[in-house]
Amino acid sequence: MTTAPPDPTFVPAPQEAAPPSRNKAVRRFLGNRMAVLSTVAVALLCLLAIFAPQIAPYHPNDDLFLGQRGVGPSWEHPMGHDHVSRDLLSRVIHGTRVALTVGILSSLISIVIGVIVGALAGYFGGWVDEVLSLLIDALMAFPLIALLIVLAAVLGPSLTTTILVIGGTVWARYARVVRAEVMSLRERDFVTAARALGALDRRIIWKHVVPNVLTSVIVLASLQVGSIIILESALSFLGLGVRPPTATWGGILSDGRAFILRYPHIAIFPGVMIVITVLAFNFIGDGLRDALDPHQKIGRSK
Amino acid sequence: MRSPDVSTYLTFRILKGLFVVVLISVLTFIVMRMMPGDPVYLLLGEGQIPITDAQIQSIREKWGLDRPLPEQYFVWALNLLRGDFGESLIRAGVPVRDMIFEAIPVTALLNAYALGLAIVIAIPFGIAAAVRRNSWVDYSSNAISALGIATPNFWLALMLIVLFALYVPRWFGELPLIGRIPPFGLRSWQGWILPVIVIATEEMAVLMRITRGAVLELLPQDFVRTARSKGLAERAVLYRHIVANTMLPVITVIGFRIAFLLSGTIIVETVFALPGIGRLFVDSVLRLDYQVVQSLVVVFAVLVVVVNLLTDFLYALVDPRIRIS
Repeated sequence: MTTAPPDPTFVPAPQEAAPPSRNKAVRRFLGNRMAVLSTVAVALLCLLAIFAPQIAPYHPNDDLFLGQRGVGPSWEHPMGHDHVSRDLLSRVIHGTRVALTVGILSSLISIVIGVIVGALAGYFGGWVDEVLSLLIDALMAFPLIALLIVLAAVLGPSLTTTILVIGGTVWARYARVVRAEVMSLRERDFVTAARALGALDRRIIWKHVVPNVLTSVIVLASLQVGSIIILESALSFLGLGVRPPTATWGGILSDGRAFILRYPHIAIFPGVMIVITVLAFNFIGDGLRDALDPHQKIGRSK
Repeated sequence: MRSPDVSTYLTFRILKGLFVVVLISVLTFIVMRMMPGDPVYLLLGEGQIPITDAQIQSIREKWGLDRPLPEQYFVWALNLLRGDFGESLIRAGVPVRDMIFEAIPVTALLNAYALGLAIVIAIPFGIAAAVRRNSWVDYSSNAISALGIATPNFWLALMLIVLFALYVPRWFGELPLIGRIPPFGLRSWQGWILPVIVIATEEMAVLMRITRGAVLELLPQDFVRTARSKGLAERAVLYRHIVANTMLPVITVIGFRIAFLLSGTIIVETVFALPGIGRLFVDSVLRLDYQVVQSLVVVFAVLVVVVNLLTDFLYALVDPRIRIS
């Protein structure tokens, strides 16, 4: 008995950069206790954000408690009242919404810009690369918060502005990583093969190059969400983010700052929430990187 | 880039840096013209006094606001080059240059202290963590750097104010040697303590992680094994071979962090009400004093470019292998 003769029309599947067998990656991620715990934490935070009106015991803005200005934590109000007597627990719960919305939407914007810029620079090289790299370098070198402050002030602070401005400025990291990976992918056989078959640049980039950098992009994204959430709260803290009376963690911290010596409890809890959220996203990012990219090509957050 | 000699490389880098500064100044100029609010009304105080169109016109002419934008830019840029930053729109008659030069020492000292503190703590700790992997030193350094990176500096600042300016005096009275720590301002030397700790914490977290990673990468390398096998004491291997080679990535990161230092300083100065560059910047943005804002942005850009250049040269000086790359 002989094996079937080789099919003359058989073309070997393009040799994409082999993804580290998916099962192995999943097992590696599940073996990382901090990453699993953090995934649960992020899932809970998402539920908190989605069902904030149902979970929060009071309305974040409208429920005022007469005579309770700046009263500290009690059993009925575990986080106490703010300087206009609103229930802080309800405000902190609602603040989750803004933090996660900005974290996710700004990430998406920056991923799209970063991948496009990085892919163009890496794939075409030459002057395209020179110009885009200069832009990437300038953006990465400049103090980000200064840029955000100016842009938010020019565009007028709001939720949309915050999302657009953060998304429009933090993409340089993605671009740098994608550019480097695309540069090495460009020389690989499967890209050369696709080009030899007459595929257009656009098709090669979208079908062969971009899918291969997605692993790095996912890892980087999970590491970046944390810093985006910190940037958002910083903008709100300075009064240049989401406008009051909308409850945001940064906004509550800003109230806390104004009354820090009189009602010090206001500033405690939103900060704790920020730290927990950012830690969780960072641990997930570390876990994903260890699971998907054992050679650690991608840098740490920050 | 294949530049055969160092001077070509230097020239290229300097030109690139200059280009970045010019680019940023043009962009800033354009963005600042998009700021809400007409500067004429800002100068006069909006809606306060009835003014005629002729008066508005004469103010526009006096400030050159009636000229075409490119001309306005060149006048501004030439004045910047001559060291003339114009006058503040809000604090009428005060030259922007004086405002900036009064604020720079505060910010520079603040960051120098903080960076020094961070280096002194982070580098030994990071090395110890890597050498004794999976010991309690390693675990605590990991925990500290994870927390340090995840903590917003302005929240840490608020918590330190609550703790040291509010509760410590209440519980313990005045501290020995230190005395009273004020919550805001720099009227006494104690005012520096909290801001320096806040900025140092973030830097320390990052530097510790980088140092640990750099040493971990060195440990399995041949030259370390050679040094050990030729009978060098563990201490000598550590100091002469490992520490020396760790400095390279650490210097790069410190240079790279200057932009982050400026970012950190902007918010921390605002929280502690310190009269530095950061607070000047935030205040000017909030008051729409764009003469100050645009000058500061250019100052930031120059600073970042200069520091990056210096880091590169230092890097090339420390490691001859990468002098030409």
